[in-house]
Amino acid sequence: MKPTLSVLLGLLLLAGCQSGSNKSERGPVSSDAPIRVVATTSMIADLVRVIGQPYVSVEGLMGPNVDPHLYKASEGDVRLMSAADVVIYSGLHLEGKMVDIFEQMESRNLEVHALAASFAPSDLLESSYFAGNHDPHFWFDVSLWGKAASTVAAILATFDPLHATQYAENLNRYEALLQTTDAEIRTLVNQIPQEMRVLVTSHDAFGYFGRAYGVEVKGLQGLSTATEAGTADVQELAAFVAERKIPAIFIESSISPRGIEAVREAVRAKGFDVQIGGTLYGDALGSPGSNADTYVGMVLANAQTLVSGLASDSNLGQ
Amino acid sequence: MEFAIDIRDMTVAYRDKPVLWDVDLQVAPGVLIAIVGPNGAGKTTLIKASLGLIKPAAGSVLIHGKPYAQQRKSVAYVPQRGSVDWDFPTDVLDVVTMGLYGKLGWFKRPGKEERVDALKALSQVGMEEFANRQISQLSGGQQQRVFLARALVQNADVYFMDEPFQGVDATTERAIVDLLQNLRKQGKTVAVVHHDLQTVSEYFDEVMLLNVRRIASGPVGSEFTEENLRTTYGGRVAFVSALSAKQTS
Amino acid sequence: MEFISQIFSDYTLRTVALGAMLLGLTAGSLGGFALLRRQSLLGDAISHAALPGIAIAFILTGSKAPLVLLIGAAIAGWIGAALISSVTTRTRIKYDSALGIMLSVFFGFGLVLLTFIQRNPDANQAGLNSFLFGQAAALVERDVLVILGIGALVLFLMNLFWKEFKLLSFDPDFTGTLGFPVPMLDRLLTTLFVVAIVIGLQTVGVVLMSTMIVAPAAAARQWTDKLGVMIVLSGIFGAVSGVSGAMVSSWIPGLPTGPMIVLIVSGIVFFSLLLAPNRGLLFRRLREWKAGKELRIEAVLVDLYTLASQHPSAEYPHSERVLDVMSTMTGPAKKTLRVLNDLGLARPIDSPIGR
Repeated sequence: MKPTLSVLLGLLLLAGCQSGSNKSERGPVSSDAPIRVVATTSMIADLVRVIGQPYVSVEGLMGPNVDPHLYKASEGDVRLMSAADVVIYSGLHLEGKMVDIFEQMESRNLEVHALAASFAPSDLLESSYFAGNHDPHFWFDVSLWGKAASTVAAILATFDPLHATQYAENLNRYEALLQTTDAEIRTLVNQIPQEMRVLVTSHDAFGYFGRAYGVEVKGLQGLSTATEAGTADVQELAAFVAERKIPAIFIESSISPRGIEAVREAVRAKGFDVQIGGTLYGDALGSPGSNADTYVGMVLANAQTLVSGLASDSNLGQ
Repeated sequence: MEFAIDIRDMTVAYRDKPVLWDVDLQVAPGVLIAIVGPNGAGKTTLIKASLGLIKPAAGSVLIHGKPYAQQRKSVAYVPQRGSVDWDFPTDVLDVVTMGLYGKLGWFKRPGKEERVDALKALSQVGMEEFANRQISQLSGGQQQRVFLARALVQNADVYFMDEPFQGVDATTERAIVDLLQNLRKQGKTVAVVHHDLQTVSEYFDEVMLLNVRRIASGPVGSEFTEENLRTTYGGRVAFVSALSAKQTS
Repeated sequence: MEFISQIFSDYTLRTVALGAMLLGLTAGSLGGFALLRRQSLLGDAISHAALPGIAIAFILTGSKAPLVLLIGAAIAGWIGAALISSVTTRTRIKYDSALGIMLSVFFGFGLVLLTFIQRNPDANQAGLNSFLFGQAAALVERDVLVILGIGALVLFLMNLFWKEFKLLSFDPDFTGTLGFPVPMLDRLLTTLFVVAIVIGLQTVGVVLMSTMIVAPAAAARQWTDKLGVMIVLSGIFGAVSGVSGAMVSSWIPGLPTGPMIVLIVSGIVFFSLLLAPNRGLLFRRLREWKAGKELRIEAVLVDLYTLASQHPSAEYPHSERVLDVMSTMTGPAKKTLRVLNDLGLARPIDSPIGR
């Protein structure tokens, strides 16, 4: 029994050592030997692909409709990240259950970067629940996403100075696209009558959107979906919607719709017929093939859903 | 003559270890028989397997000529006192009434008639004043009497009892013996797993010596011998000679 | 008081309170039988075993409809309970170990399946992993109607098989000899547990449902020695916890409903363990203390008598210390002597011999 045990332990140790060794074999970057990037959310994966093409190969950990607040990394994920050239995550505790993993990798001097580092404190929204903590959903402000894009370009250029010009080109093109997108969103939002510019949704994901585009935002759960809403929270939100006669409330793609559905029933019981205006993409992109499988597609789709819910003629005058 | 109890080839194995092996037991009606043997001899197993509570590897049981499954209403079981949690929230009368649940069948709740029958059974064991007492407040002897009443209320022909004399006071022991005598007078048959070798010849007509196999069975006079006891207990019984001397005197 | 009327007027509070009350009532009542059969933690095991059922139901049907997931949860929970039973009877493994093993194995398997589902880019699986953790505040009328219907059925069956379940819980062997099919009754009772737990899972979650099976029954046991009263009381405790939890959660924003219910029912258990007459800890201590006092009075009195009988006169005084030494109990006789004096049974005498 004893010799077998020590052989087993020896094998385990060896296996552990393996995962760190791949990186030193990294050769020059080309489209055939791209930079291996691991991104956490689908938005980040999309961003890195756009900025880094054709010299990156991106693996996203979280697929569409996956909730990053609750996502637990598997053994396979950790190995993937250890073997990657660069790891990029969002930060500000968005990937709430992976914080320890990132800290560990940073201490091992792996190439791990948080996009949240792109921002000055004035860019960020502070959490109303915990002073010193910030709202991590910055990507809904398109201008902030532009800053994140610059950060990605800088990371890639540092790792691969050979193709720095390519990354700069991609960045410029993308920034132009983001500017048009930002303007489009503003136009769409302005179609909503002022008093109905209220976004009621499952959790406090849209704070940055609200600040950037002048929309009042209310979420049922707090900043993280790990919390559970109480009866009073449902009641307050229902009272708010009924009082302000907001025509539509919204569910999110990565969260159970039950909370918002309960709010809807409560509002209806108060005599006001509120609709579920549609599904917003909260913490993840849509499925591939849908109109929301890229960042730009996603924010536009959200804005359109918002408009059709709040500004449609059938809802006016209620 | 039709046997009251006719057990044949009873074999029970527990994970490839034989607990009962090829055991036969024939008991004529109106007989009080003691089943004795050392710990782990399979005495409780014999009863449980015969009553269908354990699945035997082989064996058949006839009660008054018919298979046990058809004769349930004629057989009453008094399990060991320790097999039940006496802290259960119920009273004495309720436990005795449980003996009538078989007669009531599915869903029907016990009524006035059942209450009368249960009280009658309680008076047979001298416990009618305890009818509304919580079973957690009973002494060992009182608990045993309640179990007996629960069996009596079934008006069975054949009784299987598992160590009814274990841990009871002298008064209760006398009461149980009287009860057994009464049953015998009524022509009932009682098979009792008995732990006290000293009282076998005094209380019982017949005895079965069991240690995985049937060592011997039959009238106490002829079968409760020093030799049989030695075979059954493997030399672990002191006073063997005194015991067998007692019953010959 | 206007707050109390809100229970009827406000849709959310009314619905959540009613749903929680019905769940508490059903699970609490059934929990009585679980407690007596020493299967209280079965609720926890079934709750956790349901997870792979939910995942598989989703994988097979692609639907997140509550009914579909419920059926998946019920089947998995049932299989888990059945496996625990057969492992216990067929192997050396004890009941609590079997419970722990099944709970971990099933739940782990469920987590693996959920991770697998997450990886599939086409899956619309939002909220699947929160299925087990529930959101009591999100109850709507339709949910409450389902709970009412199923809860009523469960309670009806429990009442129908009342004497059979009582018999089974008290003495399963004896039940068999009466001709009742013990395995079938056992499975029926288990099915009732599974159903009661599963209807609550998606509304209030794992922790709350397993609490509702254990806690109200444990509390109720403290107050009565009659089975019927115990079951009813258990149901009442469950119902009251449900309503109170909903109300407290409605009163203070930011307090999640499910955990509030758990806190309240835990408070009821704690209170019952301490203060119930007869079985409560405090009352037992009080009784012990009183009995001890009476014992000491008797003992000292007997000692005094013994001392006095050795002298021609009962007036012959003895020093207190003599009594201290004579008594085999700890504690000085001083206090007891005072009591005896009050009772008129003993008298202190000042004496040069010393106190």
